[in-house]
Amino acid sequence: MSRLTALAAALLRAGRGRLFPVVLLAIAAGLLHNIERTPLHNLQAGQFDRYQRLQPRQRENEPVIVVGIDSQSLVAHGQWPWPRDLVARLLTRIQAGEPLAVGLDFVFAERDQHAPELIARRLPGSAHLLHGLPDPDAVLAEVVGRAPTTLAVVGLSRELPGARKPLHPLPAVTMDPAATTALPHFASALASRPELQAAAGSEGFINATPDNLASHGERGILRRVPTLAFIHDQPYLSLPLEMVRQALGGGQVAVDQGSAGMRGIRIGDYHLPTQANGELLLHFGKSSANYYLSAADVLAGVHPPEIFASRFVIVGFNSIGLQDRVISPLGDSLPGVDIHAQVIESLLEQTALRRPHWMPLVEMSALLFGGLLLIAAVPALRPRYAVFTFAGLSLSLVSSGYLAFLAGRWLFDGPSLSVLLAPVFMALLGSTLIAADARRREAERQLQSSREEAARVAGELDAARKIQMGLLPDPEKCFAGEARFAIGAVLEPARAVGGDYYDCFMLDRQRLCIAIGDVSGKGVPASLFMAISKTLGGTLARRHDDLAAAVHDIERELSRENPAYLFVTAFIAILDVESGTLDYVCAGHDAPMLKRGADILRIDTDTIAGPPLCALGDYPYIAGRCTLSPGDLLCLFTDGVSEAGDGGELFGTQRLADCLATLPDNSPSQQCALIRDAVRRFEAGAAPADDLTLLLLRWNGPLSGY
Amino acid sequence: MNLPIREQSGVLIVEVGGRIDHSIAEEFTRALEPLLANCRQGQAPVLLDFSGVIYISSAGLRVLMMASRQAKAQQGSFAIAALTPLVQEVFTISRFNLIVPCYASVDAACKVLGK
Repeated sequence: MSRLTALAAALLRAGRGRLFPVVLLAIAAGLLHNIERTPLHNLQAGQFDRYQRLQPRQRENEPVIVVGIDSQSLVAHGQWPWPRDLVARLLTRIQAGEPLAVGLDFVFAERDQHAPELIARRLPGSAHLLHGLPDPDAVLAEVVGRAPTTLAVVGLSRELPGARKPLHPLPAVTMDPAATTALPHFASALASRPELQAAAGSEGFINATPDNLASHGERGILRRVPTLAFIHDQPYLSLPLEMVRQALGGGQVAVDQGSAGMRGIRIGDYHLPTQANGELLLHFGKSSANYYLSAADVLAGVHPPEIFASRFVIVGFNSIGLQDRVISPLGDSLPGVDIHAQVIESLLEQTALRRPHWMPLVEMSALLFGGLLLIAAVPALRPRYAVFTFAGLSLSLVSSGYLAFLAGRWLFDGPSLSVLLAPVFMALLGSTLIAADARRREAERQLQSSREEAARVAGELDAARKIQMGLLPDPEKCFAGEARFAIGAVLEPARAVGGDYYDCFMLDRQRLCIAIGDVSGKGVPASLFMAISKTLGGTLARRHDDLAAAVHDIERELSRENPAYLFVTAFIAILDVESGTLDYVCAGHDAPMLKRGADILRIDTDTIAGPPLCALGDYPYIAGRCTLSPGDLLCLFTDGVSEAGDGGELFGTQRLADCLATLPDNSPSQQCALIRDAVRRFEAGAAPADDLTLLLLRWNGPLSGY
Repeated sequence: MNLPIREQSGVLIVEVGGRIDHSIAEEFTRALEPLLANCRQGQAPVLLDFSGVIYISSAGLRVLMMASRQAKAQQGSFAIAALTPLVQEVFTISRFNLIVPCYASVDAACKVLGK
């Protein structure tokens, strides 16, 4: 399983995390190109419907009146089909108002059952009674012939029994043969009886193309209607367009065509944009009952004839029982005849939805541009901004779809583009997040290991510090009850442990040995070397009577095993506590200070000082000598004092001298603490770089009792 | 650590600068290594120009001590010149002039060491 996830992660991160998104973008482009075959097509159609719902077509005037064969009419005049003389009476009523054109939205394919000879056939012996009665078909034909009337034709894809060709094709339409192949072609048709055809001025087809009737459980939504079709290779307009053509005097129809097929159709001065296959993308207006009249009311003369004046009148079904209803994109359930009314209105207003052949190219360009933008930007951005980028891109694609519709009824599919870009974005974000996660883990791992390392070092240093501190004598305890002299000492290790030490012990009842030292370098090796130096110093100083020889011996012993080439600066002195005689050796160490009354002096080491212990290995050190006065305060220190820094300046020996001069007259231990505090104040919080070591020796003079 | 090198009167002069303390000691050692490898009998003497050094700690002194030991073992010539006052004080206190030959200036050193 982990191998699979590793493989997926490797795939996601291939080509710096960009290869996989590029592949996804290519797939998205392929899907967009063949959107009709993907579920996205429903999303697209739904979005286009949403545009229409947002802004339906305004229906300002009502140029069409529908005379509906409604339930009321069926109650009043009986079942459909009505006798044709009744239809003729209805038509006569309408013609009285002098409408622009009349269309009949049904096909009178067979003879009327009420024709006298047909009744005679069913009732033998009644022929003489019926003789002389008018033939209803002939009556209707006579009325149809009185005014411009358009009959309906249903185009059929194959020959059916009772099929009949329409008789009134359009005057020759000049069209590119290649463009005509995209238009609907019907091999056969169902038209009205020949006497009606002959009487009527024109015929128009009433086929419509509801979407996805086959694939949908619910009834398809009607979005598109054909404008022009070929029946038996003759061009025909749809019924509503043919009615307009008749009203305009039956002129020629011009087809606007481009390289990709039909672009629009022109009837008289009216132009409508169409799809390449001649279909009209209807911009629906809200359904209204205002322009529907009941056929029963018209027959009863309820409405004055003027109501039909200068209007287009369509006679059709408007009854639930007759089941000719369609669903519009606005969600209305309309009688089929309403579509004809909407087509006439659209033509007169010259408005239709526009989705020219280049619109898919625009969408493809937008997809590729957006995709490449994401591929370029997302890996370079922080995840937060990457999310904003995608959200902004999606928002602008969707809103530009709405804007294009509101501005000019253009159908631009923004949401599908957003949906197609989403996998690209997610792959990019995924690989960015995986990379960020890997970096975070690596950083955490490094932090962890550096913490462990720090803890380990701190442990070592801590141990070294304990060794260092444990070796140092506590002068107050060592010399408790001593009246001839007093010693105070302080050693404060720095964070990086150094190798300072001090020592003080009696060689015998009369001789006090004091020492201070500083091992070069820091850390554990320095502190261990300090331990050796101190121990060796103590041992050899006790063994030798001559201090210089002792120091010489110390150096040789130390140098014997010194693989790290460490060296020690040291000041070692022996005080005769009875006489005040001080013998001392200086090995590269700062000269101690001497406070005598108000004066601050330096112990003179210039002539006798040698290099640090172990620097040369066999240096013949010389001892110096001076004599202390009772009350003298000797101050031994390391560079932790003189070289304490505040970031810029060093504490220096002058500040130390000033500090000594102003010391109050209390115990050396307290005085040590005061000097230490002065140094820390000077450092002003800066971390000390080196150990701070001080040793103060006050000689009180010989015991008065002796 | 960058150590510019020039030659004067047959002496290899190495310019050292800044603070030479515990934090830089190891780097300083490594920088000197290739120079010291060639500091042997018959080769050009190596002279550290300390005019840019403002501070030296005991860790820095230790590097000089080891360099001096190596040069001595190889019978080469190794010296320091032009110490600033603070560094001079450290050398005086620690008596390091007994360990590494020190000269007042580069020119003075070249007069002695050069050919």
